Amino acid sequence: MSKEKTKMIHIQIDGKSLEVREGTSVLEAALQAGIEIPHLCYHPAFPSEGSCRMCLVEIEGRPDLELACSFPVKDGMKVSTQSEEVTKARKNMLEFLLAEHPLDCPICDKAGECKLQDYYEQYGFFESRFEEKKEKKEKKVEIGKTLLLDQERCILCTRCIRFLKEITGTRELGLFNRGVHTGVNIYEGNPVENNYSGNLVDICPVGAITDKDFRFQTRNWFLGSGPSICPLCGRGCNIDIEYHPGFPHFPVPKRVYRIGPRENHRVNGYWICDYGRYHYSYIDEDRQEQIVDNKKEKLDSWERVLDFLKERIKKLYYMNKTSRIAVLTSSWLSNEELFLIRKIFQEDLNVEKIFLTDPLPGEEDNLLLTPERSPNSKGASQMGLNFKELDLNKLAERTEVLLMFGSHITEHFATAQTQEAIGGIETKVLLNPHISDLNSLMDVVLPTCVIAEKEGTLTNVKGLVQPFSPVFEAKGHCRPEWEVLVNLAKKLALNFRYYSPFTSVKPIFKKMQKEIGFFGTKK
Amino acid sequence: MSPEYSDQTKKKVEEVISHYPKKEAALLPVLHLTQREFGKISKEEEALVADFLNIKPIQVREAVTFYSMIHQKEMGKYHIQVCRNLSCTLMGAGTLIDYLKDKLNIEPGETTPDHKFSLSTVECLGACEQAPCMMVNFDYYGHLDKKKIDQILDDLE
Repeated sequence: MSKEKTKMIHIQIDGKSLEVREGTSVLEAALQAGIEIPHLCYHPAFPSEGSCRMCLVEIEGRPDLELACSFPVKDGMKVSTQSEEVTKARKNMLEFLLAEHPLDCPICDKAGECKLQDYYEQYGFFESRFEEKKEKKEKKVEIGKTLLLDQERCILCTRCIRFLKEITGTRELGLFNRGVHTGVNIYEGNPVENNYSGNLVDICPVGAITDKDFRFQTRNWFLGSGPSICPLCGRGCNIDIEYHPGFPHFPVPKRVYRIGPRENHRVNGYWICDYGRYHYSYIDEDRQEQIVDNKKEKLDSWERVLDFLKERIKKLYYMNKTSRIAVLTSSWLSNEELFLIRKIFQEDLNVEKIFLTDPLPGEEDNLLLTPERSPNSKGASQMGLNFKELDLNKLAERTEVLLMFGSHITEHFATAQTQEAIGGIETKVLLNPHISDLNSLMDVVLPTCVIAEKEGTLTNVKGLVQPFSPVFEAKGHCRPEWEVLVNLAKKLALNFRYYSPFTSVKPIFKKMQKEIGFFGTKK
Repeated sequence: MSPEYSDQTKKKVEEVISHYPKKEAALLPVLHLTQREFGKISKEEEALVADFLNIKPIQVREAVTFYSMIHQKEMGKYHIQVCRNLSCTLMGAGTLIDYLKDKLNIEPGETTPDHKFSLSTVECLGACEQAPCMMVNFDYYGHLDKKKIDQILDDLE
């Protein structure tokens, strides 16, 4: 925001008095006040285009209807968005837009979340007067790895073109020809190739650009949606996870069908990258859902495993040998979970061998994707955990109890190498949301939750601490790591009073804020 | 091979560009200069123009496909543009277009195999007082009839 104080002015929309910033458009003022003016081409991320002409409104003193998206507010302005003339104009504009539209809603993937369809139901309901043949255009142009373009459904709002011009600067799409022949297309078969292409599907107000990953998988009205944080890089983009709750008598193959951006101007704006959008299979695929008991010591319930762990740890504790405990953490854990690891292992038990195993860094781009491939590397670095340099020999040397969170160590060392190093450790427990090569090397594998199934906070690369809560229930016997850690701490009973209020994530966060300076100074 | 401007055209292109605050604003005049030199704006010429204006070829293609005076394929030596708008049609342009189609044995939008003639139909040449009328390259011919068309075409080399 600019330092100069922007002038506030007063306008009236539909008789409602509003105070708005000078320079905003009528449409923006209306949207801010929760007054809906139909619009297709306007998108808050771009300068207004005024090509769909759906946002016509009546402004007192103006001879004609004006475009709300490009008409700036003036002090004392009186706007009407529901007058007879305005609704008539909307109907007329819809008739123009639909004259060349194929009306194939029953087989269109966008049906149900199509603005053109919605507006027709609100303001249209006319019989078609169009007797001529509709223009034939390309119905299935592959404009990108995951993108299909239907030129007949396109209403030429140019949101996609403007996105590629304003946001990515790659300009893969253009508007060719003229009049009724006008169409969006790529140039000489060069596809849309950038890490943000999936956003084109989101911003297309109609069914012109559809997503091959989502197309025909399910009808969008079956899907539920929940807010979450993308854990696939350090940016912490705010997302909506769209999942299928299932049908009563008919199983669906997976839960998550689609990931979309959730507006947050402190993090990701209106967008997410394709890496975060299309790599959601980790939520449903290869999940560790049951406890694996390789020792065959009847460690088949959470209760028994925790008792078993408690015995092992307690024994070392009383022998003053907690230096023989090693903990492998990961920045896929939430702030609260890392905090609990610090409290229990570093402070209560004086464990020295605490390591961090993170996924190997990946490519970054200059928009959102960071090289970190975990959601909480900043949080992990600010937690005051004294991480030792990752070394298999040091990790295994004289170690009797190994507690491993996540299986990212497989990215650093070959499984055979890890096996050789840790083979002699008496007790090896892995807490992992996924099935991995490490399963056979462990005594016990405990199924844990992915971010979408649990509660907590994550610190993004910029230091912003963002809360998340479960979108759906945990799979199988999966439990969140924070809960496992609290239960273990209670069983160890080294500081029972400290851990007993930790029945949810909130009290843990509050304690963390009090004890760790970094989180205390944050809002 | 990618085309290159002659020294003379290059000089003109650079001069035109210098008249505008932004390079890309010179797109249309540069396209005209380019078409005058190469007779067409195909993929290769698009790349050349894009390079000079520091824009992407797709932006050149957008303009090329929008404006009917820019041709993606080379036109014949003589480009005949017959008006088919209101005044000319009332004065019999339809018959004349059919006559030209038969005479040249091509459809509007096509070029004769010897690359001598291209035929187009256009909307209003702004010379209704001479209806029916046509343009051959940059010359106007009005008050047309079949005989006059025969004579005009015969006079062309």
